[in-house]
Amino acid sequence: MRITKLTALAAAGLFTLSIAACGSDSDAGGGTEAAAPAPTTMASSAPAMMAGANFGPGCSAVPTDESNPGSFASMAKVPVATAASGNPVLSTLVAAVKQAGLVDSLNTAPDLTVFAPANSAFDKIPAADLKKVLADKKTLTSILTYHVVAGKLTPEQLAGTHKTLEGESLSVEGSGEDFKVDGQSAVVCGNVQTANANVYIIDTVLMPK
Amino acid sequence: MRRIIPAALLGVLSAAGGVAVGELLAAATRPPAGPLVAVGGAIIDATPTPVKEFAVRQLGTYDKPVLLGSIALVLALFAAGLGVLTLRRRGAGVAGAVLLGVAGAAAAVSRPSAGWFDAVPSLVAAAVAGAVLIAATTRSVQVAQEGKPFLVRVDRRAFLKTAAVIAGGTVAAGGAAGIVERARGGALTESRAAIRLPAPADPAAPRPTGVGAGFMTRNADFYRVDTALTVPRIDPASWRLRLHGMVGRELSLSFTDLLDRPLIERDITLNCVSNEVGGPYIGTARWLGVPLAPLLREAGLDPTADQLVARSAEGMTIGTPVATLLDGRDAMLCVGMNGEPLPLDHGFPVRMLTPGLYGYAGSCKWLTELELTTFADFDAYWVRRGWAAQAPVKTASRIERPLPFAQLKPGPATVAGVAWAQGRGIKAVEVRVDDGPWRPAELLPVPSADTWVQWRLTWTPEPGPHTLAVRATDQTGARQTEARATPFPSGATGWHTISVTAS
Repeated sequence: MRITKLTALAAAGLFTLSIAACGSDSDAGGGTEAAAPAPTTMASSAPAMMAGANFGPGCSAVPTDESNPGSFASMAKVPVATAASGNPVLSTLVAAVKQAGLVDSLNTAPDLTVFAPANSAFDKIPAADLKKVLADKKTLTSILTYHVVAGKLTPEQLAGTHKTLEGESLSVEGSGEDFKVDGQSAVVCGNVQTANANVYIIDTVLMPK
Repeated sequence: MRRIIPAALLGVLSAAGGVAVGELLAAATRPPAGPLVAVGGAIIDATPTPVKEFAVRQLGTYDKPVLLGSIALVLALFAAGLGVLTLRRRGAGVAGAVLLGVAGAAAAVSRPSAGWFDAVPSLVAAAVAGAVLIAATTRSVQVAQEGKPFLVRVDRRAFLKTAAVIAGGTVAAGGAAGIVERARGGALTESRAAIRLPAPADPAAPRPTGVGAGFMTRNADFYRVDTALTVPRIDPASWRLRLHGMVGRELSLSFTDLLDRPLIERDITLNCVSNEVGGPYIGTARWLGVPLAPLLREAGLDPTADQLVARSAEGMTIGTPVATLLDGRDAMLCVGMNGEPLPLDHGFPVRMLTPGLYGYAGSCKWLTELELTTFADFDAYWVRRGWAAQAPVKTASRIERPLPFAQLKPGPATVAGVAWAQGRGIKAVEVRVDDGPWRPAELLPVPSADTWVQWRLTWTPEPGPHTLAVRATDQTGARQTEARATPFPSGATGWHTISVTAS
């Protein structure tokens, strides 16, 4: 009986702390968007509560201040494109997504897994080539949709072959906290939760075959 | 050493017993005032954000059990020390218990919406723990030599017996607390189920024929956006609404008083300001409630009051322009949603609803208080966080079919969705494929201007990738703006635009 009670208390505490972030104080005073925590939902924060923590060396590059829209806590409450747009590590990707007109599609698709190339991944592409791709909406769209898989993949489900929204499949090798996509792109920060997608930040841009 | 371990154990057991009694008392009276949860909540509030982030990052979903476990561990260590000190000096046990009790009480009273009573469970817990510790120590410890209090001897049999009694009491109190908590939840569910909502004096307009499936949102599917840590449990029998502030005479209404007034019933679409373009935080329900404007007039509202502040049981404040509430729209105090009493998640027993305003600016849940004041004098919860003080719903539209990234089969496809401009109504919805011309969509009939409009269009795509965009025009002739705005501070704007591929 005592165990039951303690479990109930622990569960109550769990719930309390998870939701605490939603009502977090930030004296925005009408300043920037960054300073204002959004009215948010139980529904959207629930997946973040259920799923495990993110992992990987690249996670330390993500802002930790909860009132920062790029922080993990903020990203868990908003859909994936909005979440990425608050994250300075993903600014090149966000620009590319806007250029391709995929913001709403990514935000309003039900459940997704997004392999999100960090800015450093785009830096590996020669500037002239990157400029060319950004100007070619069709190619850009197929590259970007090759980074997206339908359904939320947990780290346990990550290894394997997954059909992308571009149509072709990508392959993930590895286990634990160590994964490589298509044999060349390492997951530097994995299992980042957003309202509608699990995000794996990678260090090399993927190319459809 | 032989004396220290039993004494420490008695300390830990006494503390556990006290906490169990405190939790039982809280479960029976005010669950949020339970000592452990109150201290946990206060710690969370006092923790700097970076530390919280670090904890969440390092511990993942285990952060909360780790927190509660840590509180229990610290308490146990403290109690063990007290047990040992009490061997020598009874006063130490009393002082330690008082210290813990005051700390717990302070934590409980510091919680939002806490009253003085919230201190009681922690203080009772401390009193029980202290008394049990003194009694147990007295029973099982004898002074070996008169006049030398340092030479004490633990009577093994007396110790074991005492420890067993305390442990038994602790388990009984803890178990009872669990049972009471479940019973209270059950009782509330039952009293909600027992409510017979009166028929509306002014029923909803019949839904026109041709209203599509999905026009109404089921209660279970209705979005929930609020900051309540736990869903408030309010007994409608003891619920009262206080209407005060800049009024000629204060009103205090019971739940029965509300049901005795003439009720209106309306189909109204409610949406959240934090919805992204095309987002999910919107729904339409049939609401039953007491019109708010006559109540405000009965109270003799001061004409210089320009803001009505609604307060919820858990401390939320929501400010609504008085002019909006008096302009003839169906602002109401809701008691029913889709033919049943308000669900607990949606504000049981009474919530406010203001059609045409985002929820954070007019639709307070778990309502307990209405205060007439001015915008100059008071900033409501979200306004203090930078959100707009006045927040009429912006005209918007959403594509629901096909889904983003859908693979369409050859042949005609239906493009469909909703558009909304509560209060103004929707005049037209247009859809654009790629860079083609805007094509008018068919609008399905609606019961009033306060609901969303369903629209649809048949489209036969060419093979290949396509982009679909939607825009609406309200009944005043104003077209939804293409300019992108974020939800902060007054609602998102932009045309919902999605990508699909046809084969």
